[in-house]
Amino acid sequence: MRGKSSATLIVTANVLAGCNTHQSTLAPFGVDAADIRHLFIIMLVGAVVIAGGVALLMRHAVRAPEGSIDHRKGMRIVLWLGGIIPTIVLLALLAYSLPYMKPRPASPADLTIAVDGEQFWWRVAYAPPGRAPILSANEIRIPTGRTVAFRLSGGDVVHSFWIPGLAGKMDMIPGRINSLVVRAEKPGRYRGQCAEFCGLSHALMAFDVIAMPPAAFDAWLAEQARPARPSDDPGARLFAANGCSGCHGIAGVTAPSRIGPDLTHFGSRRTLAAGILPMTTANVAKFIRHPEKTKPGVRMPSFPQLSDDEGVALARYLQGLK
Amino acid sequence: MSLHAQDDPQLRAAQEERLRAVWKPPSGLFLRWTDTNNNRVGVWYTLTAFGFMLFAGVLALIMRTQLAVPDNDLVSANTFNQLFTLHGSMMMFLFAVPMFEAVSIILLPQLLGARDLPFPRLSAFGYWSFLLGGVFVGGSIFFNAAPDGGWFMYPPLTTRTDLSGLGADIWMLGLSFIEVSSVAAAVELIVGVLKCRPPGMRLNLMPLYAWYILVVAVMILFAFPPLIAGDLLFEMERLLNWPFFDAARGGDPLLWQHLFWIFGHPEVYIVFLPSIALFAMMIPTFAQRHLLGYPWIVLAAVGTAFLSFGLWVHHMFATGLPKISLAFFSAASEAVAIPTGVQIFAFIATLWAGKVKWSTPLLYASGSLAVFVIGGLTGVMVAVAPFDWQAHDTYFVVAHLHYVLIGGTLLPLFGGLYYYWPLITGKKLSDRLGRIAFWIMFVGINLTFFPMHLSGLEGMPRRVFTYPEELGIGWLNLASTAGSYMFATGVAVLVVDLMLSPTRTKSPRNPWNAGTLEWLAHPDDEDWGIRSVPLVESRYPIWDQKNFVAKVDEGRFFLPDAEEGRRETIITSVLDAKPVSVIRLGTPSVKPMLTAVALGSVFILTTYHLYLIAALGGVVTLGCILWWLWDTAEIPEKPEKPIGHGMRLSLYISGPAAPGWWAMFITMMADATAFSGLVFGYYFYWTIHLDFGAGFDEPGSGGPLMALALSLASWAATLSAREVHGWGSVTAARGLLIAGAVTAVGSLFAGLACLDGLDPEANVYPAIVWVLVVWTVVHAAVAAIMQLYTLARSIAGRMTPTHDADIRNITVYMHFFALTAIVTYLTIGLFPETGL
Amino acid sequence: MKRWLKRAHRLRVTLWTLIVPPTTWAVHFLFSYLWVAISCERIGQWALFPTAFAIGTVVALIVILASGVIAWQQSRTPGDPPPHNEGTDIDRLRFLAYSTMLLAGLSFVAVIFTAMPVLMLGDCR
Repeated sequence: MRGKSSATLIVTANVLAGCNTHQSTLAPFGVDAADIRHLFIIMLVGAVVIAGGVALLMRHAVRAPEGSIDHRKGMRIVLWLGGIIPTIVLLALLAYSLPYMKPRPASPADLTIAVDGEQFWWRVAYAPPGRAPILSANEIRIPTGRTVAFRLSGGDVVHSFWIPGLAGKMDMIPGRINSLVVRAEKPGRYRGQCAEFCGLSHALMAFDVIAMPPAAFDAWLAEQARPARPSDDPGARLFAANGCSGCHGIAGVTAPSRIGPDLTHFGSRRTLAAGILPMTTANVAKFIRHPEKTKPGVRMPSFPQLSDDEGVALARYLQGLK
Repeated sequence: MSLHAQDDPQLRAAQEERLRAVWKPPSGLFLRWTDTNNNRVGVWYTLTAFGFMLFAGVLALIMRTQLAVPDNDLVSANTFNQLFTLHGSMMMFLFAVPMFEAVSIILLPQLLGARDLPFPRLSAFGYWSFLLGGVFVGGSIFFNAAPDGGWFMYPPLTTRTDLSGLGADIWMLGLSFIEVSSVAAAVELIVGVLKCRPPGMRLNLMPLYAWYILVVAVMILFAFPPLIAGDLLFEMERLLNWPFFDAARGGDPLLWQHLFWIFGHPEVYIVFLPSIALFAMMIPTFAQRHLLGYPWIVLAAVGTAFLSFGLWVHHMFATGLPKISLAFFSAASEAVAIPTGVQIFAFIATLWAGKVKWSTPLLYASGSLAVFVIGGLTGVMVAVAPFDWQAHDTYFVVAHLHYVLIGGTLLPLFGGLYYYWPLITGKKLSDRLGRIAFWIMFVGINLTFFPMHLSGLEGMPRRVFTYPEELGIGWLNLASTAGSYMFATGVAVLVVDLMLSPTRTKSPRNPWNAGTLEWLAHPDDEDWGIRSVPLVESRYPIWDQKNFVAKVDEGRFFLPDAEEGRRETIITSVLDAKPVSVIRLGTPSVKPMLTAVALGSVFILTTYHLYLIAALGGVVTLGCILWWLWDTAEIPEKPEKPIGHGMRLSLYISGPAAPGWWAMFITMMADATAFSGLVFGYYFYWTIHLDFGAGFDEPGSGGPLMALALSLASWAATLSAREVHGWGSVTAARGLLIAGAVTAVGSLFAGLACLDGLDPEANVYPAIVWVLVVWTVVHAAVAAIMQLYTLARSIAGRMTPTHDADIRNITVYMHFFALTAIVTYLTIGLFPETGL
Repeated sequence: MKRWLKRAHRLRVTLWTLIVPPTTWAVHFLFSYLWVAISCERIGQWALFPTAFAIGTVVALIVILASGVIAWQQSRTPGDPPPHNEGTDIDRLRFLAYSTMLLAGLSFVAVIFTAMPVLMLGDCR
């Protein structure tokens, strides 16, 4: 890793800022975010030097007695400090930064994950080479040390896909497919968030990101490909009776849906409602009955007709979908 | 009239009496609002913009209160979205741009030693439009109907009527109305700078403020029209379901982003350069010497203006465009820092070389420079695309843009306020309160915005109404909130200082001992602007020209009298300011106000889908405009008049020497730019759709070529009419004008016939063809109206072969109309089937 | 060459000639943008060697250089040191010419800035 001492500086800043290490551009777990942080630190040092220099010069200029410099010398200051030096510095910065723009190369053998932004959640589909796509939502798992390609689009309006610790953001625009190729290095739990204003609950559109060692990831993905077992518990019956399958797919139980989030492995996710609530039975029950109370403008209709017990039963069933 | 004549005090008194009578403002409860004098309109304009700024500032305070702690629920998401949309929109459209126009309307005539700007009624029209549109947009928040899609209004969130309500229409139509008034002000300011300078004020002697205003007004001309074109497409989608931004029917949300930011980035420099212009006036005064590097400043202004049009995609770095496209814009975004650096170092060098008189305005100037430099440096950072991929749409950018706008617009304006207050009111503001206000604000600003850099990098996106505690940015936000209240306190102290002003005594004339013309203004100012129009021989005439002030005051320069009882000012040539003519200025009138109300009704009624009454409003607007124009370009009672020193100037000019001709030319430049925005849209769709236009009933080539032929015939008829009219064949000219109007109407119908069988709701191809054709046929209709108007002027005896301004002006319009017709009809007639 | 430079003195200088260099930059910039948009979006691939771009850039640089040299020639003041701030024909000419020369310098640099990405990135992704 480049810039050891500046990394210390950033860690200090992080401590001061209250130690957010899971959604911070300054605490990268991906190669690209680390590169960008490196670029930032270089520019930061440059900016501090320039700002200080200009301030000192300004102070000196104001205090200097009349006639300290003549017209010729004044013009030299304008030419060199205002014109030539900035040109050289900026040209150098441009030449230095351009290579950072080159996208990471991806091969067809790399894992592709399609993510669509929806109001206000994330539709996720893993497409391992040569196998059927695996549907999920609101949580993204990636292997460390491997290249992963995201294919990003907007389902309804413009959103932006941003995992600060992994890489820069990329907009999700209806009618366009954008590609973002990344590589995670450090395993752990992180968080991403929508960065383009997308309506009422724009602030409440986040997701969990879990970077796993490659072997663990492969095992997890294989597990995800397994459909759910049909069950006869009361929650399952409520799921069918209330028409939930009209919008939500559960592989093995109902047909996949193009409307709401897929729930096949709902219970294995850490959070609910796109990274907003902890995954507890009470939260799930509350969300089903009154989703608009958690998320203004949510597309899911509310189910106030469900009793408390029914809500809990439904929640238990869904949480059981591991 | 000789120099000695002015020695006679009785003559001078008589002149002053006549001038005073001519420039007497209208009085009465209502009539006083029909005033058009730049001093008064400029003050209304400034106060209104200041009021909107305070209002938008309060909106920001509510937002900061909501964000003070994590998971706060002081305001709902719905309210919060309205708050930030309105805060941004009002600060940009109702404060920053109008404020610069307002200040320029006050200052420019004084700086140029003119009695008033060339079109005082146009300024009044601009003001009333601004007030009406501003109250309409700003007031919407009290009805919970304010726009809530962000100040950038990205579709499809804002174009889908199921996802966004009336607020989007209010934004689009209300602000389009204000954009019209901004373009009107730009016309006024450009013509003012180019044609109303005092004799001798060559381009190289022009005050730098005028240079900046010229540059900025030209930028408005090219920056606002693309947004107007975008607004048009946007409302067509919202009101008529034409799918310009609907991906399912071939549209693309990105087109809006392009059109918006082609406006949006130059906009930043449009609000920044005028404030730098204030520096360029203040710094020489407080350094008590000429500004160093005058051509360098001009280089910086012109260079920034150009480069600022090559930056727009840096707001779109994360949209997935090809990296190399992004890189072009990254490169230009870094290059634009060069002219900015030149300006800053020219100021520093001037202070260095001069004898600095420390003062409150200079305190504001240096404070804003410090704030701006930080904003500029983070600006260079976000110009680097990879870093922007992280910083974009986070609080880092919020910090950056506020440093730039506060350091580059707000604080310089406050400095300008302290500097120019004696010019407007004759009284100085309190140095003590000014300094107290400055330091409270300065600390407040940094406390508010500096932590935002960090909260952004720590993962806080923009435009969120709340944030979870786990991000650990609670204390950063709390600091920002505390800072914002401090900032507001500073502004309040400043407002108190302004309020106390009426209780203070008058200060002497030119209290800062400045060298430029505007300081001729007297504490007990008369409404005539300047006693006599001076002959200028230096950049700082008050310093350099002997007995300058006394000579001006004693009427020893030009035009010291108003013998004919008319408001007058001198028109000079563009390069060397050689006197060309004396023009009669518009007097107070209710027409500008009525026209603004009528035009406003068109926009406001359309918002509520009341199309029939809106159309009626359109007809009334047209009527008002013609009624207003009828008095202009009047034939004077005598061909020329003496202006002193044995010089006689013509009282009538037409063609490229005349302000009216320039106004038409400049307006049409804006019109052509808006049109090119639409054409850009057509080719944009062609670029992204390999099968663009396939499968539709294309208009074919016959119809469009027919419409083109008729349009060109109308153009040729007008051109010939101008020529034969010049030779004296009035009857032939009238016949040609009728032929021109008939062919223009013919081209209108031929154009509409091209649209037969194209359903604009089906797909973006027919929709964009419709828009191009409708744009062109509306211009054909306007062409016909102009030709008939000119005909009427000729018949009424208001236009003769020697007084032919009208026909020369409409010829300018016809050139642009012909160009529009050529582009539209060739595009739809020959494209896309013969394309690549 | 000398004769040509002498001739430059006689060329008319106006506000329009002032904006020749930055306009050239603008045209070059627009050209670059459109060239990439059409290559990448419409044609879908990068040219083997960006001939069109190279020619466009060289032409733009030559135009800017030429206007800069002409302006330099016009603003030269042998034996008359600056500042030239007088309200005379010659000083007004020198001012416009000098500003044009400065703008040529800025525009030249800006065109090089624009060309850098093609040299350093060189593909469509």
